[in-house]
Amino acid sequence: MSTIKQHYDALVIGGGIAGMQAALDLGEQGYDVLLVEKDPSIGGVMVGLNKVFPTLDCSSCICTPRMAEAAHHPHIQLRTWSEVTRVTPMAKGFSVRVLRKPSYVDEDDCIGCSKCELVCPIDVPHEFDYGLGARRAIYIAHGNAIPQKAVLDVDNCVFCGKCEKACPTNCINFLQEPEEVVTTVGTVIVASGLHTTPIDAKAEYGGGRFVNVLNPLAMERIQSSNGPFGRVLRPSDGKIPRSIAYIQCAGSRDRSLGVPYCSRVCCMYALKQALLLRHYIHGVNVTIYHMDIRAFGKGFEQFYRRVMAEGVNVVKGKVARVTEVDNQDLVLRVELLDEDRIEERRYDLVVLALGLAPGWQPGSVVGVAAGDDGFVQAPELKINPSFTSMPGVFVSGVAAGPKDIPDAIVEAGEAAMAAANFLEHSGWRRQAMVAAGAKAPVAVAEGVM
Amino acid sequence: MGADQARPAAEKPKRPLDVLRERRGGMSAQLKETFKQQQQMRKLMRQALKAGPKTVPQLAAACGIEGHVAMWNLMAMRRYGEVIETGEQGDYLLYTLKGE
Repeated sequence: MSTIKQHYDALVIGGGIAGMQAALDLGEQGYDVLLVEKDPSIGGVMVGLNKVFPTLDCSSCICTPRMAEAAHHPHIQLRTWSEVTRVTPMAKGFSVRVLRKPSYVDEDDCIGCSKCELVCPIDVPHEFDYGLGARRAIYIAHGNAIPQKAVLDVDNCVFCGKCEKACPTNCINFLQEPEEVVTTVGTVIVASGLHTTPIDAKAEYGGGRFVNVLNPLAMERIQSSNGPFGRVLRPSDGKIPRSIAYIQCAGSRDRSLGVPYCSRVCCMYALKQALLLRHYIHGVNVTIYHMDIRAFGKGFEQFYRRVMAEGVNVVKGKVARVTEVDNQDLVLRVELLDEDRIEERRYDLVVLALGLAPGWQPGSVVGVAAGDDGFVQAPELKINPSFTSMPGVFVSGVAAGPKDIPDAIVEAGEAAMAAANFLEHSGWRRQAMVAAGAKAPVAVAEGVM
Repeated sequence: MGADQARPAAEKPKRPLDVLRERRGGMSAQLKETFKQQQQMRKLMRQALKAGPKTVPQLAAACGIEGHVAMWNLMAMRRYGEVIETGEQGDYLLYTLKGE
């Protein structure tokens, strides 16, 4: 693992698509960037998705080249399995503390051969597959992970020592300790991503109680070719599902949950998943129950019409409750709004269209203001959407509010430009160059180039 | 020689794994129980699959476990190359031990 330098131009918190894009845009301009990711791999939520809407392009085919580019960029230093614990403003720039959790593997020596993982005797639920699949106590995050390095989940380690014996490079280091490093940066971009709203928040839908009621991101993994089952099966008994229901707004637009906002992506990801289910399972009945369909982006309306044309049932209806019956099938009691009647319908699987919530609360670490909804506040939303309440700290991606992938990428570019502008005008760039003994071109030093 | 015999035997340095185990206070009781149950369940599942290919409900019935538990364990075995799909039976897939 390369050593952290004393100074960076920028710190990017979060290695998802928005964080990677912001880091790349800054790196391409010659700024030195420290990119910190809490998980063992960069890629965030996007690398776990099956396909993207409305183009149905393979998600990881778009994401992994960016991951590789960020990891190998000469101006980007990657720090995975690490968390930013403190960002303190100074007269110029910020002092930053980064804590690296022990992986019990010497990263420089690990060749990602997985031999340790193959001999580990215990299986535990894999976070990447939302618990539906398994990993070992020592594991590489997933097939597309960058870096391809093993980490040991010591909480589930049985201390058998088999990994150490199997490792061909002797990189298992049981004595590794947490490592905290302090560095200074000129600017900070918060790109800390998202969580879905809790699946059990609406008890009447049975999320968290019934095995066949799924989180939509778990459905993404099930649909992925490298997913936990290898094909679309239901988790309770491995049955090929013949009828699947989507319940929209199951975590958004609901004041009783404290989530009054629209999550902006649920209609489109449900339509996308429903269409793909029709492609993957011959003759499957897929029904989407919604309050209204919000297909507002470029090509979204056409996609919505295509999904209906290909046989997905899109029904205006409000689901009152989900009950589990024999064989772990699910019965939905639904008010069909257009037909003005109530009906009970039986399904093999139910997917709750959960909303998007902020993945991290930066308040105690970075000190930027958040709104009532928990997302980082952008006080100048219309003219400077990446500006936060703290000068020099910018926000991008879902950390600022629910959005889809193209919007997250565009806003990440804007955050990078705003951060670059800040670096040039705050004098940080000139100060860093003087400290490095560089004879900077006058134009650069004055922030013109 | 005589002096060597009088000197107390030097304490053998602890292996790094033992140091970590000690620092962590060993395996938790819950993890010990989970691990034990998982080992027993895998043994039962291998025995059942040796008798022939099975769907998840058939495997669950043969082992006396819940369907979703059989599914999760079977998928773990599949991921690490112990089990493969060998056909379909109605709405279910048949799984076989690799090499059987």
